Amino acid sequence: MSLLRVCAFAKCVSRRTLFDKCAVRVSPADRCPLCVSTRDGGVRRISGEAVSVVRRYVIVLSHDVMVLLILPAKLHLFPVQSRTSFCNVVYSHWIFFSLSVLKARIQQLQPDVVLDVHHANVQFVKAPSSGRGVSSGKGPKVAPKEKTDIPKSGKTLKKNKLTKEERLPQKIQKNVKEKPSGKSKGSKKVGTTAAAATVNPQRPEEEEEDVEVAAAACGDVQLSIRSYLEACVFAGDVERAHSFLLSQHRVRSRRKLLNTDFYNIMMRVWAKKGTLNQIGRIFILLEEAGLKPNLGSYCTALECMGRNPGCQPKLITRCLRQMEEDGLSADDLFSQCVFRQDERDMVLKAVHLVQPDYKPRLHARAAQCPSLVQEFYTQRADHQYPKLDFTQEELQERFRQQLRLEEDCTVTIDSVEAAKPVTDHMAKMRKLLADHRAQWQKILLQALRESKMILANTNTKDYRLNLYPYLCVLEDREYVDIMIQSVASLPPSGESLKILGRDLGHRVYTKYCVQQKQQNQVVEKLRNIYNAYTDLLAKDTKECIVLPSEYWGRLEREQSSGPSLQGGETHWPYIVSVELGIYMVDMMVKNLKMNSDVLNPAFERKLIPILYHMYTFRNTRQVGFIKPHPILIQMQQDAMESKLTFDSYVMPMLCPPVPWTSVKFGAYLLTPSKLMRTVEGATQHEVLLEKCQNLLPVLDSLNQLGNCAWSINKPLLDIIISIFNDRGSDKLDIPPPLSEAPKIPHFNAQDPAYTSAEKAHMKRDVINAKKKCSEMHSLRMDALYKLSIANHMRDEIFWFPHNMDFRGRTYPCPPYFNHLGSDVTRALLLFAEGKPLGPKGLDWLKIHLVNLTGLKKRSSLEGRLEYANSIMEDVLDSADNPLNGNKWWMNADEPWQALGCCMEIANAVRSPDPTNFISNFPVHQDGSCNGLQHYAALGRDVIGATSVNLMPCEMPQDVYSGVAQQVEEFRVRDAQSGMKIAQVLEGFISRKVVKQTVMTVVYGVTRYGGRLQIEKRLKEIEDFPKEHVWDASHYLVRMVFSGLKEMFTGTREIQVRSMHLITYMFSSNKPPHSIHLKSTIQLINLQISHDAKEPDTVKQKNAFPPNFIHSLDSTHMMLTALHCYSAGLTFVSVHDCFWTHALTVDTMNKICREQFVALHSQPILRELSDFLLQKYCTGAEAKNKKYQEYRRLMLLLAKVPQTGESARSRPRHCWRGPTCRILPSPNCTEGDSYVLKLRSEGYQDDGGCHSVGFLFPSRFITASSCRLLFA
Amino acid sequence: MSTQIWRGADLMMRSACCRTIRSPSSEQPGAERTSPSSALTHRNLSAVAVQGQSRPLCRYDSLDLGEVEENVRRALACKKIRHFIVNPDLAELVTQHLRPENGRSVIFECNPGPGVLTRTLLNAGAQRVVALEGDKLFLRDLQELEGRLDGQLEVVHCDYFKLDPIGVGNLRPPVMYTDKLFTDLGISEASWTDDIPVKVVGILPLRNERGTLLKMVYALFERQSVYRYGRVELNLFISEKEYLKLVSRPGEMMQYRAFSVLWQMACDIELLHKEPWESFVKSSKQRMPSSKNQLPNEHLCLVRLRPRADLFSGGLTPTNASTLLMMVKQCLAKRKVKLIDRLNLWSPDSGSKLLSEMGMLEDILTGHVYPEEYLRLFQLIDKSQEFTQSWLYEEILENPQREGWG
Repeated sequence: MSLLRVCAFAKCVSRRTLFDKCAVRVSPADRCPLCVSTRDGGVRRISGEAVSVVRRYVIVLSHDVMVLLILPAKLHLFPVQSRTSFCNVVYSHWIFFSLSVLKARIQQLQPDVVLDVHHANVQFVKAPSSGRGVSSGKGPKVAPKEKTDIPKSGKTLKKNKLTKEERLPQKIQKNVKEKPSGKSKGSKKVGTTAAAATVNPQRPEEEEEDVEVAAAACGDVQLSIRSYLEACVFAGDVERAHSFLLSQHRVRSRRKLLNTDFYNIMMRVWAKKGTLNQIGRIFILLEEAGLKPNLGSYCTALECMGRNPGCQPKLITRCLRQMEEDGLSADDLFSQCVFRQDERDMVLKAVHLVQPDYKPRLHARAAQCPSLVQEFYTQRADHQYPKLDFTQEELQERFRQQLRLEEDCTVTIDSVEAAKPVTDHMAKMRKLLADHRAQWQKILLQALRESKMILANTNTKDYRLNLYPYLCVLEDREYVDIMIQSVASLPPSGESLKILGRDLGHRVYTKYCVQQKQQNQVVEKLRNIYNAYTDLLAKDTKECIVLPSEYWGRLEREQSSGPSLQGGETHWPYIVSVELGIYMVDMMVKNLKMNSDVLNPAFERKLIPILYHMYTFRNTRQVGFIKPHPILIQMQQDAMESKLTFDSYVMPMLCPPVPWTSVKFGAYLLTPSKLMRTVEGATQHEVLLEKCQNLLPVLDSLNQLGNCAWSINKPLLDIIISIFNDRGSDKLDIPPPLSEAPKIPHFNAQDPAYTSAEKAHMKRDVINAKKKCSEMHSLRMDALYKLSIANHMRDEIFWFPHNMDFRGRTYPCPPYFNHLGSDVTRALLLFAEGKPLGPKGLDWLKIHLVNLTGLKKRSSLEGRLEYANSIMEDVLDSADNPLNGNKWWMNADEPWQALGCCMEIANAVRSPDPTNFISNFPVHQDGSCNGLQHYAALGRDVIGATSVNLMPCEMPQDVYSGVAQQVEEFRVRDAQSGMKIAQVLEGFISRKVVKQTVMTVVYGVTRYGGRLQIEKRLKEIEDFPKEHVWDASHYLVRMVFSGLKEMFTGTREIQVRSMHLITYMFSSNKPPHSIHLKSTIQLINLQISHDAKEPDTVKQKNAFPPNFIHSLDSTHMMLTALHCYSAGLTFVSVHDCFWTHALTVDTMNKICREQFVALHSQPILRELSDFLLQKYCTGAEAKNKKYQEYRRLMLLLAKVPQTGESARSRPRHCWRGPTCRILPSPNCTEGDSYVLKLRSEGYQDDGGCHSVGFLFPSRFITASSCRLLFA
Repeated sequence: MSTQIWRGADLMMRSACCRTIRSPSSEQPGAERTSPSSALTHRNLSAVAVQGQSRPLCRYDSLDLGEVEENVRRALACKKIRHFIVNPDLAELVTQHLRPENGRSVIFECNPGPGVLTRTLLNAGAQRVVALEGDKLFLRDLQELEGRLDGQLEVVHCDYFKLDPIGVGNLRPPVMYTDKLFTDLGISEASWTDDIPVKVVGILPLRNERGTLLKMVYALFERQSVYRYGRVELNLFISEKEYLKLVSRPGEMMQYRAFSVLWQMACDIELLHKEPWESFVKSSKQRMPSSKNQLPNEHLCLVRLRPRADLFSGGLTPTNASTLLMMVKQCLAKRKVKLIDRLNLWSPDSGSKLLSEMGMLEDILTGHVYPEEYLRLFQLIDKSQEFTQSWLYEEILENPQREGWG
């Protein structure tokens, strides 16, 4: 105790000196920042002395703590709203997602302004900190003493915040110390408030966004700190977490990164232990940091009080009162806080101590529906939502299976190659590998323990983030398993270090998340809610007209006790998972060895590493690679191991996915999943997505897609596997095994028998052979994975949970096997639920078959049906003798799907009554939302609309053929005028040559890309002279572009305009920021271009039109999905290709058409223009340097592209015409491969995409919002 | 600490035994400089000397360089980002370094533009100048000049730095293959040890200096592209920054890169002249490259890169050169790793044996090894039996071709 007194004395001395110095200087009119700096200087000296006196007792006394003593600790005068609270305030209902993104963008475009404001804010935020010394060990005991000192020294200052007397921390302190004497005076905040109030301007609303931008900038660091703390806490290393938080807190520059939530993490730990005084200390720290306690903080305090049996009710009352003062209510507590384990019950217990009959009132969020879907949500009388074909019990049993799967995190299944007989050699190799693995496991375990020991002890600076806690969150054994697994799946040609590291890190993270949920006791609650949720889906329960997300939300509110299901875990920052992964890779490279003579005893025995780190060089960049030793590859290939180990989320789900109810919750049961796929490290996206209010329709359509049950087409699977295990078939897209690969020729480079030309030639052969081998390997493995998963699922019924990208395109989450895949995987999938064909079902099946063949593109539906009937013989033969008959199906565009369709038709035809034949077969319909159609509809362009089937017309119009014709006309003209290349091209211009380019024009393909596409097509034509390919492709792409220009008047103009727009919007360009990650093995450069402050202008420009169109596409799909759901249809989509049962094709087509009309009845372009005008052309004053540019932009934006005459002549009318049918075409099957192709060519790259992030939800929302704004 | 000193001393000692790069010293360049008038007499003298042996010279005494303003205007008309030599004094200076009047080398002038240097070279008595101009804009004037002369000047629409593209597609000027260019010019393949057949003079395009330099040095080691025709000597203006990297020595960990090692290994590098950026006319309004890092970048440096005649005498051949290239690139991807670790990766346990054969310390870093030592190291490795078992040795065969360009 005497020591403490010394300490307090020292402090008090120093404070007095300080006051003597400052009191003179600080007049009420003094400028705040100035006084901070002067004091800062003064104090640094003083605190130096002070610290030297008391160093032994007070661990650290940071200087700014003392400075701030005399500054007003007035958070309350001008409330600095914590980040969490102002989100809700600013973003009122009409400010949607897009707006906030663009706002952020504007800020970024004016870096100077932002910087200034940001700077001011920092000053501001820092200034009103309260003053109380922090001393990690003995602080709280010291604190009350200080308080008693204050009045003595601070007499010149007015105390004017009496209301603040009753601050919580002091109370707790006092309670702990049981020293009420100091209370009334001690808690007075000494304030130069008047001065501060005048200095700090009233905070205008807009500034809050600046804070946000700044916050986004340092968001990564914050995320790192947060995940570090949580990992420490999870691993039970409270000491480390605590000292880390303190070390951050002590230094001003680091402290400003902290917010209340960080302190809450520690409070939560103390609350679990029931140590109220520790919580009190943290409250003091909070105040000292100028932060305001938020719901979470009070929640932990109450929880702690609830845990302490002897807690005095008046303490709780005070706590609740203070919450009220801060504008928080107990109801908020229960509706907004995230609870773990029994936290909720404890808080409730505490509240009950003082208010015995309190019951939390939980409100469902009142969601505002955009007008486009308003009707859907409000008028449900005639809706009939589909039920799944399962009893409640079955569903619950399925849930249990899925839960078990996810708790294990990995799943090991038989590969389809398991059917092959095991030879002696294989057995030997398997044994060898198993022995090695056991040995490696031991070595790695040892190495991991050692390196953890080193990490734990060498980290002298405790404010540094290191990997140690992340290496403690799992059992050592689990890390080792993850590493061994990654060796097994390493491709023979190696893998880039970055990717390998990322994957390893991600695996650890996933496992950590699952274990976190278990620790938080979420699983039990999830089970209860899910079991109740099955009410909605099962067939043996009563009908209810509620959407899954609504039902789930209701259940969650009803069963509110126990832990919260959502929002518990923090994402690890990208850099952390990569660093962790690379750390593990490094460990493997250093430790995994084997003898060099395992396969060939002739070699000298040496212990050699199995993994190598080396570089490959791409342009001027060098890429670190991890390569396995050829001996290891040889062993693995020879062993042909028949087990495959996957992460659990790779498999389809065994029960219907958890419905998305918020951005953070849905899809898998335990595995973390993202609603929106983003590029790694783009945290800004996530922040913005969370802000977005009106996501409900989007979530519901994702739920609808995810709820479709699937099964496997077993006869087809057996045929495919038999070919796969035999020799594969390139023609049928079944990759052959490596034994079919070309042999790599061996030659001795030193051999003088060869001339140098021969050697060069042979070298090239070797290179080509190797390249071919590695390509074949990756194709083979991909197919192996897909088929093995399908085979594993052959008797199951399963579901694909869905998520989406930033434009709203939806994707199934499991990566390998899903309905977006190639022809082979699509053919394997059937709807689990069967429906009778009905009167027209058989016809649709036949038409579908013709579509799959790729023939008869220009025929009407009747024509196609007729054709189908004329080839019935072939169809039946294909179905009966797929491999031995006349193999008609093999020549189709999509052979496997065609074969499946043949079999279905055969079965239906042979059934006694085809109309009652139960069919599980999905029939595809082209959603006809290809880009040109959207453009034509947007621009209300008549000729264009006709050629893309938007106008009523007898025959289906084919825009590709149209363009081809146009190009041919140009060619004839040029050929006559003597152009050589035009003459060469005679007879080669076909629909096929121009198709891809035409299709991608709207997606912003450039001449360069278009030329490459055409070049590819021309090379495929065998008798086209190769030497002319380059010239010809160059010529053709020009012709295609001008041909399109002739046909689409308004369309291209829209595109050009939107391009201009983007260029103006983002006319500055800065390099992406990159993080250098120094690991022992190699310097890694993580380019996080997507979170860069400035977007990439060129990419933006090119990406805008395609992204815009894609989001229109996806909006149309989502609308269709929702309405199909309400009509009780089974519906899934592959982007713009919609699948349903044959019975319901007509209904779906009707809905699809209606929704296309509904979507384009919205004044989309006008809204976009208004919106951009609003965002970019207000507030740009003359003083702005960019004024001229703004002005130009304004003029440009104000000019909505002229919409063609059809707009006026047929307003609100189906562009297809009242009688028009949607024409199914096999376009859809190109869906994903075509997306991939585009991506690989870089056309629809989202180019630093925050700015286009606004695209997708805005469609749902602009409609309503703009009505509000501009009506 | 003591080991540090040790290493430093070791470095110095070894550097003494190694061939050093001739740096710009006092002899340079003023001493060699002769006045324009003497150059003219020189030309005339040599014209007399060679008369009769080879082709006749042009009738004109001296070619008119043209008005400076006019040349500047023409240079500025160029749409690409290029630098031009327009100043007659600068052209004169370059000419003197090339010594066109003696020796039988053909002079390739890359991208002459308005042709100031071309005329100066001819005036100085060059017997055969080939102007390789990539921009059509200047072609007409150059061809007109060609027509006025008696064969001393040949003009080809060709960009020297785009010779031998790796992509496919049909070529059109200015991109072409070397064999076509050389066949058209009537230059035949020569032995490596023969005299220098061609001297190239020009300004290295700024856009991708390092990539171009790497591409050229690969070609040199594998004796492809122009190096099939013998030891082509380059006299190029390189930005100061790149030059400093090119000649950086072991121990300068930031600058010492694979391409410096390779060039130093292959060539005698001589800095002929440093000229500030301002002396050149620049055709685009883009900013000067600013030097963001610690290296100065105020000048363009005229550097002579003359391939060594004895390069292929010690076991290095164009066939195994690709392995050397790969070895150097792998080693210098990171300069602060131990050489022994790298060697052991290739062939376990062989590192210390090799190092002792080389007389190097066990803990030497890859960034401390001299180019000549890398060459010797490679020769040792190439002879060693152990390395034939190494799979990495096979691996590296494929890489330079596939990804190494640039």
